Amino acid sequence: MTDFSPSPLAWLHGSDAPEKTSLNIGFMALSDCAPLVVAATQGFAQPHGLTLNLKRQSSWAGLRDGLLSGELDAVHCLYGLTYAVHLGIGGVAAAPMSVLMGLNHNGQSINLSPDLRALGVTTPEALERHVHQSRAKLTFAQTFPTGTHAMWLYYWLASQGIHPLQDVNSVVVPPSQMLAHLRAGRIDGFCVGEPWSANAVNQGMGFTLATSQSIWPDHPEKVLASTAAFTQQYPNSARALVASVLAASRFIEESLENRRATARLLSAENYLDAPLEDIEPRMLGDYSDGLGNHWHDAHALSLHNGGAANVPYLSDGMWFMTQFRRWGLLREDPDYLGVAREVQQLGLYRDAATSLGIDCPVAVMRSSQLIDGVVWDGSDPRGYAHGFRLHALSDH
Amino acid sequence: MLRILLIDDTEKKVGRLRAALVEAGFEVIEESGLTIDLPARVETVRPDVILIDTESPGRDVMDQVVLVSRDLPRPIVMFTDEHDPGVMRQAIQAGVSAYIVEGIHARRLQPILDVAMARFESDQALKAQLQARDQQLAERKRIELAKGLLMKMKDCDEEQAYTLMRRQAMSKQQKLIQVAEQIIAMHDLLG
Repeated sequence: MTDFSPSPLAWLHGSDAPEKTSLNIGFMALSDCAPLVVAATQGFAQPHGLTLNLKRQSSWAGLRDGLLSGELDAVHCLYGLTYAVHLGIGGVAAAPMSVLMGLNHNGQSINLSPDLRALGVTTPEALERHVHQSRAKLTFAQTFPTGTHAMWLYYWLASQGIHPLQDVNSVVVPPSQMLAHLRAGRIDGFCVGEPWSANAVNQGMGFTLATSQSIWPDHPEKVLASTAAFTQQYPNSARALVASVLAASRFIEESLENRRATARLLSAENYLDAPLEDIEPRMLGDYSDGLGNHWHDAHALSLHNGGAANVPYLSDGMWFMTQFRRWGLLREDPDYLGVAREVQQLGLYRDAATSLGIDCPVAVMRSSQLIDGVVWDGSDPRGYAHGFRLHALSDH
Repeated sequence: MLRILLIDDTEKKVGRLRAALVEAGFEVIEESGLTIDLPARVETVRPDVILIDTESPGRDVMDQVVLVSRDLPRPIVMFTDEHDPGVMRQAIQAGVSAYIVEGIHARRLQPILDVAMARFESDQALKAQLQARDQQLAERKRIELAKGLLMKMKDCDEEQAYTLMRRQAMSKQQKLIQVAEQIIAMHDLLG
């Protein structure tokens, strides 16, 4: 039982015991918070000398403020939001951040309204025609200006020839209110995490037009984040936290029974407070799009994948900065690699993974081909950010 | 006179602040309902300060308003742009988040936050953390005990015992410690 054996690593200061033993962990009610809920409630933290107190949050802005004010020690965070705080984009002044590990790949999607379905807008091509031929501008919702859902929505629309900031309106709507806004006719589509997309489909409120994994198979999504101040002040606590969450992620994916049990745990009032039928199928990879199509998705929500879903690759962090630049959220090119080296805690992750016997690659970058055929491997971030046909770069 | 837009969209009823703020001499415009078009309201009302429940999901919409307004002559900022984390912490304790129009000093927020403070009790839950460490040690011992009992009962190894306990706990939406206590209780009963 690797969980309960003491860490084989001896640390310079003589002890690797956590400096702070009780940690407040913020999370949003989304399926990909699973590793944190399982780690905190199923005894994965105690062997590492930690108690994890789960604190459910109502908004990403609130979660961010809780982290910056010190009320939360670490959080379930949108990859992009972590970098926005680090770079000072949005509602708060810049504060150095740490990405401790990845929490998941995949599992978000873009849905369209029943009205668009009735008009026959059920394919990307039909949507492109509709956007460029109809006089009324469609409105698409995402969950946070610098969040992953905004980036998937923008990337996907652009890959279909639709400019996300000119051809359509883009607004922020909290996930739990997407359906109400859809019913009120205020939005025509949205990009959101589960279980909210499945929930809309199950309620007959529209259909899933694209999954995020169809944009980028095994894309980075949520991370375990803290402030850099926390990582520097409590390095042993940070490492113990990563080890606890990593052990929980591995456990969830050890068997189908464990995945099913995880879905049941998540549906509880304290966590997602959502019906099991909205959570479980897509967690297991079983998709129904609301148009009568059913499939088993080879790149569904992945919480561990032998550690591949958890490595905080530098190229993953850099990608979000390239998209901030592309869409004008950053007015100048940052030092992509330098910033990613500051934020991504690869060393800390390696130590924690090694202590659990989980493989960790030597490479700090990974290579992926996205939906538009463009390859991203982190080697030329500036060229990549400036290389798209559709963009909002002010200096062009 | 400062014009305050009060967003009342959670159970806490931020609207309770209204009378007190009016009494303190502010012009208050209250907005309730879960699905208001927040950016449009901010544009129409042009408030100096926006108060919103810290727990409101609408906070993320406000972040968009902040970002969109950064190119306008009078951008809306969170008061933390004034580089005063103390005020931010105080607001979180008061249970409201404030967004102000640039050019209004954070100090002018003080009376507003004082009113909010007086209306909402601050969250004292953090004190519970002091007991956490003792509890953690005790829980770990109980879980070990239950694991040992289960290994004997099921004639299985340590890892299998943990998996059984965890799967049971998760399926019943319980914590591992709760299932451990059930195993110990059952063992005591059967003697």
